[in-house]
Amino acid sequence: MAFFLQASYWGLQTFLGRRFLFQPASTCQKSLVLMVDLLSRDRVKGLPFTTSSQSALPQKLKGVHMLHKSRSRSRDGRKVKMQDSCREEEKSLIHPFFAGAAKQRSEIQRTPTAIRLLRLSRRHDIQPPEKPLNAKEWQELRTQLKLCTDFEIVMLRQMVKHKSSIDVAKSLMADVVLRNGDVRYNLLIAYLTLCLQQGQTAEFFDIYDIIKLKFKTLETGGYGVLIRGLSGTERWREAILLLKEMKKFTVPSKGCYGHCIKAALNNQDIQLALELYHEMLAKNIMPNLDVPQAFFDSSKGTQDDKLKKELLSMLLCFRENQVYPNEALMQSIKQWFESIPGEKWTGRLTSVENGCACPVCNQVLETIELNEKEYNILKEKIMKDVMMQGSNTFRTTTPQELKRFQDFVKSRLPYDIVIDGLNVANSVKKLNKYKVLFDVISYFAQQNLRLLVLSRKHLMKGFQTWNGNAVTALQRKVDFFFTANVSQDDPFLLYATLHSGNHCKFVTRDLLRDHKACFTETSIRHLFFKWQRGHQLILSPLVSHKIIFMPILNFNTVVQTTGDTWHIPYDDQLVERYSYEVPRKWLCLQRK
Amino acid sequence: MSIFNMLLRNVVKSSVFPFAMKERRKNGLFLTCFYKPFLHRTLNLSPYLKDVEPNPPQKLDLDEWKNIMRAEQQKEICEPTSKCEEDSALTAMREFVEMRRLAGKLIPKNITEEELKTLMELTTKSSKLKYLKFLAIRERKRNARNTKKEERREQRKELLGEVENRDADDLRNSFLVGFRAKSLDNLHNWRAAYAMIFGQPLVFDMVFENCMSVIELQNAVKQIMESEGYNRKSVDPFHLHFCNLSVDGLYMKEFRRSYGKTWDNLLVTETEHCYTKLFPRDRLIYLTPESRNIMKTFEHNKVYIIGSLVDKGGQKGASLAEAKRLNLATARLPLDLYLRWNIGGKNLTLDQMIRILITLKDTGDWKKALQFVPRRKHGGFCGN
Repeated sequence: MAFFLQASYWGLQTFLGRRFLFQPASTCQKSLVLMVDLLSRDRVKGLPFTTSSQSALPQKLKGVHMLHKSRSRSRDGRKVKMQDSCREEEKSLIHPFFAGAAKQRSEIQRTPTAIRLLRLSRRHDIQPPEKPLNAKEWQELRTQLKLCTDFEIVMLRQMVKHKSSIDVAKSLMADVVLRNGDVRYNLLIAYLTLCLQQGQTAEFFDIYDIIKLKFKTLETGGYGVLIRGLSGTERWREAILLLKEMKKFTVPSKGCYGHCIKAALNNQDIQLALELYHEMLAKNIMPNLDVPQAFFDSSKGTQDDKLKKELLSMLLCFRENQVYPNEALMQSIKQWFESIPGEKWTGRLTSVENGCACPVCNQVLETIELNEKEYNILKEKIMKDVMMQGSNTFRTTTPQELKRFQDFVKSRLPYDIVIDGLNVANSVKKLNKYKVLFDVISYFAQQNLRLLVLSRKHLMKGFQTWNGNAVTALQRKVDFFFTANVSQDDPFLLYATLHSGNHCKFVTRDLLRDHKACFTETSIRHLFFKWQRGHQLILSPLVSHKIIFMPILNFNTVVQTTGDTWHIPYDDQLVERYSYEVPRKWLCLQRK
Repeated sequence: MSIFNMLLRNVVKSSVFPFAMKERRKNGLFLTCFYKPFLHRTLNLSPYLKDVEPNPPQKLDLDEWKNIMRAEQQKEICEPTSKCEEDSALTAMREFVEMRRLAGKLIPKNITEEELKTLMELTTKSSKLKYLKFLAIRERKRNARNTKKEERREQRKELLGEVENRDADDLRNSFLVGFRAKSLDNLHNWRAAYAMIFGQPLVFDMVFENCMSVIELQNAVKQIMESEGYNRKSVDPFHLHFCNLSVDGLYMKEFRRSYGKTWDNLLVTETEHCYTKLFPRDRLIYLTPESRNIMKTFEHNKVYIIGSLVDKGGQKGASLAEAKRLNLATARLPLDLYLRWNIGGKNLTLDQMIRILITLKDTGDWKKALQFVPRRKHGGFCGN
């Protein structure tokens, strides 16, 4: 009994103790939160108007709570949406190489754990004063903010950010000059940026003259600001002089060139603009899209044949470099074509989903197939750059394996389909991977196509143990090739497909971006991408019970012409296009 | 009237002037320029004298400073500033560097002719800016080191002074002569020499010298030096082999540069031959993070090979390719088994590798050995 009592007492004590422990813990937590809060507030100490901590704390907690709620809701929402999309949106899937496909994929696959934390930087929260201050007030502000070393520059940048009035900046500059008798160079440049932003041309010229007197040469940032400022005014010739000075020690950026070209175009000096444009291309700088836009805008209704030729060659330059105009440029191009006197062009917007003809004018678009010369170049380059990695074959495979594979491919007839076994097997997460692979292989085998399945050895082991009989039955119809477990199988896939000929397709979900990156020349990369778009079969990701492949594109998405028609693909403003995707919208221009 | 005018002028002057005077840094020149505009301003005021109150609310003059700047500028221009004309490209580059400094960027204070020439040889703008930043940071580090050295010297002087002040005749009773760094060195060298005869071999494969950039090569040599030092100081050192080291290759040049005379007295084996000639093939194990085999235990009768390759991207699979070429067994450290990996590549530096291997050799304890993996890369040991 006594023991019992003691025990219960002990239990009570521990219970109490725990209670006690609990209490401080919770207060401790609170104070921790407070501390964190204070710390974070400390970071933004520069802010003159902060709320008191009592009011700030609950608000913050509420904010966190809200965040949790909204997150869970969105997670549920996504689930529902995914199920819906599984059922209904089978047909609305975008082809993986069309603009927006990568975005769509990331929407589907995004995990809900990724929360973006807002980072508060110390300098971000300085509020520049609203009225011009005198020297005393500036001094006060300076001591208050404790940024003595680069107070002025930080302040000016904040003014640019908050778009405060030029007078405030003027008063700051006056204060600096009266204190030091001199202004540092970077301060002048920052002030110039502010003038530019506010459109204070007279002020800009004043400072420009001062800078010209004070410094013999400038650096790239300064030249950039000056060129940008001067190119919009009547003193644009000086911008071009500055550009010349800049060339003495560095290659001007495309922004600088662009501003000069636009200035020349605005002032009807087309000759100079063209000169600068060609100089830029010769230095291997691709202009921003607003430069061609300026060309097209400024030469509307032109009679000049030479200029017309230049503009058309600009379009062909887009074709070579796989540049796609944005919507604004597309509009300019359209208006320019329609404004050519004597030739009746009509432009209409369309989208070519699949098929090979433009729905507006029924003109057959350029095929995606490579011609024989290009095909041979690509075949060689795949062997050299991807398979052999320059000279070191051991990075991807071994020479013995390569030899074995080459002999194997040579001895067989050309294939119709080459399947990346590992990729196909792992493409549907929920199902048995061997079953998926088996289904895909038999799907093609039923159509009496010549098949090659490439894989690593370890997959084959599992495959045979999974269902030995079915696999041996398949093996009679289909060729299998297994690489060593340390080798890469994608180069073999590319090699086999390319050597089978133009009709051969390959099946993988891999976008092969790393192999594309192995090519040293950009033109070969474009070739490879074109070939890939025309020959890659991709298992549609959302459908798990049926085998459906994305349709193969049979037209080439590139700027193209037949003389009487122009077809120009362009980027939709609303769709985010990744670099390995091509736009879906087209501008169709037709002469009657 | 004129008296009143004078008075007001004084008032105005005294109200603004002290402010400006207080923190003025430039002398002489500034004073005159500053004074003129204000004279001008007070004269302007004089017709309206009657209307102005004796203590007017100070109004800011926002454009005054430009005049000051201009006035100053004209004076400076009057001074002869022409310099002798140097090589025009070089001067242009120098001016560019100067202006970048003025723009508040990271620029070294002193830049030599040679550095300027290397700067000129760099082709792209970003590489130029990177090089300048590198120079600046190096200079800053050097300066910090020098100031620290100075401080230490001062401290030592003080200490010495104190010691001298103490009783010099007081001889201590000690059973050892003072233990010097030299004796420690002797001990280490003795151990290293012992290892050269009986120790377990460890191979550094120097075949990658052509895959690396200059900076990567320098880093690799630094790491090898560090690992050699750690090896020498350990209780039971490895017998280090530097294999595939060509006589007039880049590695050799860099070694000679950084080791100096010590290179010839180093207690390691350096050969032009491949390790496959020195050791039987079945004893060799190539350590590479891309291997498929996980190293379970440290085996004392094997020869481990470390590829001395600093890989800052772009050398994917180089060491595995080398092992494949020679058809050797490969292994990787069981990092994933023991550590909760967070961030960063699984490729460790050479000195980290040798620390891990030496600890394994001495204790066989993976936990102890993997403490040398940088803490930023993992979140502690698994199961803890």
